[in-house]
Amino acid sequence: MSADARMRDGGADFKPLFEMALGVEAFASNWAHCDKIATYVARLVSHNRTDSLLYANLFSSALNELLETAFRAHRGGGELACHVSRSGPVDRIELTIPCDEVLRGFYTRAIEELSGDDVSERYVAALLADGALDPGIGLLELAVDYKARLSLEPGDGDAVRLVADLALEEA
Amino acid sequence: MSFTIRYDDNNQELMVAGSMSPQSAGELGELRKIFEKSARTVNGTLYLNVKRLIRLNNIAFHELAGLVARTCQEKPELKISVVTSSVVGWSARKFSKLARISPNISVEQYDKQFYPGQDVLEDGGFIPILRTQTKMTWRHEREILPRHGLKPGMAVADVCCGIGDFAALIYKEFTPSRLIAIDHAKPSLAYARKVAADFGIKGIEYVYGDASQLLLDDNQFDFVTCRHSLQVFDRPELILKELFRICKPGGRVYISNEKNSHCLGEPRAESIQWTYTEVAKLWDHFKMDIELGPKSRRYMMDTGFEDIRMESFMVTNLDGDPQDFADVIQAWEDVYAGKMAAERGDSEEFIKKFRQGFQDHIFAALHPKGYAGWPIWVASGRKPA
Repeated sequence: MSADARMRDGGADFKPLFEMALGVEAFASNWAHCDKIATYVARLVSHNRTDSLLYANLFSSALNELLETAFRAHRGGGELACHVSRSGPVDRIELTIPCDEVLRGFYTRAIEELSGDDVSERYVAALLADGALDPGIGLLELAVDYKARLSLEPGDGDAVRLVADLALEEA
Repeated sequence: MSFTIRYDDNNQELMVAGSMSPQSAGELGELRKIFEKSARTVNGTLYLNVKRLIRLNNIAFHELAGLVARTCQEKPELKISVVTSSVVGWSARKFSKLARISPNISVEQYDKQFYPGQDVLEDGGFIPILRTQTKMTWRHEREILPRHGLKPGMAVADVCCGIGDFAALIYKEFTPSRLIAIDHAKPSLAYARKVAADFGIKGIEYVYGDASQLLLDDNQFDFVTCRHSLQVFDRPELILKELFRICKPGGRVYISNEKNSHCLGEPRAESIQWTYTEVAKLWDHFKMDIELGPKSRRYMMDTGFEDIRMESFMVTNLDGDPQDFADVIQAWEDVYAGKMAAERGDSEEFIKKFRQGFQDHIFAALHPKGYAGWPIWVASGRKPA
């Protein structure tokens, strides 16, 4: 099955690789947690990829952007969960993020905007724009530069589950 | 977040290295200060070297793009050349966006700047030579390596692993706890992975990397090897610095190199000696030092190693099948007197004489009473604890 088909196929056989959950306040107490978690998880899941170092560098950069997005857009209370699973060439990152209505709206819009034909142009425009950075830029980057397939699912309670399928050896 | 930023006035080069993932642009004051200062003073082309930048989040990129855009507005005559690395997967893709700002901005993957002769060696043509060479040198090195500290159960890195056969032999003979083999030639790595798969070896991580900017943390390995490779680089001291960095305190770095002008043979010694002296000059033309072997001790001392051990051995036609030796020499002739001499623009007359020395070396190797040799120097040093 191709990487693209695995991404589309909700029933593809994804085997769990890594799971963690921590209080969202603890996570958000230090920005460096994003980089540290991303680096640690990337090392764990990359060792048996064809080129472990190159893969780890790409994976950690992608996961870091997801975590930075969650760092900026979450509500207090509850847990941030990170689950990584694999189906052949595709690694799936699922981030469960505590949200309120406003934040759920942010994630919903950000994901919807990724399906437009001009997503690549919008990513470049956001990167080079003056003023404040678009808070959804990390998701744009994943969709454009990492060719990730991103989706949003309801999590437990009022959380959302952000799902990113990455085929980094083919991206 | 840990990154360094440095401006080299001599090369008009701004080098940004490390991991840059700030929470806000406010954390990048030092970057702004140095960038703006260097942009003010420079004329012609400003080189932005991000080869060793392994992490850059969108906040930092946004800030950097803003600095580049403002510089282009303020100095419309200035050209900005961004130098990325093929070793960092996202780098070229991300930085290519900067070229949208102005036609004066160019973005290049430029690892080859560091490896002037690398094209010659990276095209896959060297694979058969390397395979036979390793077979011949391993007879000696399997005995030599323990004298330089290699023991079973160690964490080992083989930097510039080529086609990975030395790493496979290390894996079988010394059962390391971890073995990572790194090279900058994708055809060689593809070959290495295929050989490992064919032999059912699953314990070696073959990875694409640049020996001068390894994506490995400090103090990781008990034993680091780098064979026949410092002689390929015009700045071997930078490679040694990286080998030193990834070696654990108390661990050892092991290097091997040649002095090709000391290749010898009987009969026809004079012709052989002339050709190999010319080989050294040819490599020097491509900024590679095939005479580096005996200089290893100095290089290791200058890098900061202690307890330096050094020895030499001679691969000869009497080691196993003389035809193996002859095959290696034939392959050298094909590459040196073929592609490399042609690229240097050598005359037909020179190339004819040059080829004759290789043929005479083969003659000596296959002669029933002949002797042919290829000397190699190995050195190792301990990283201070």
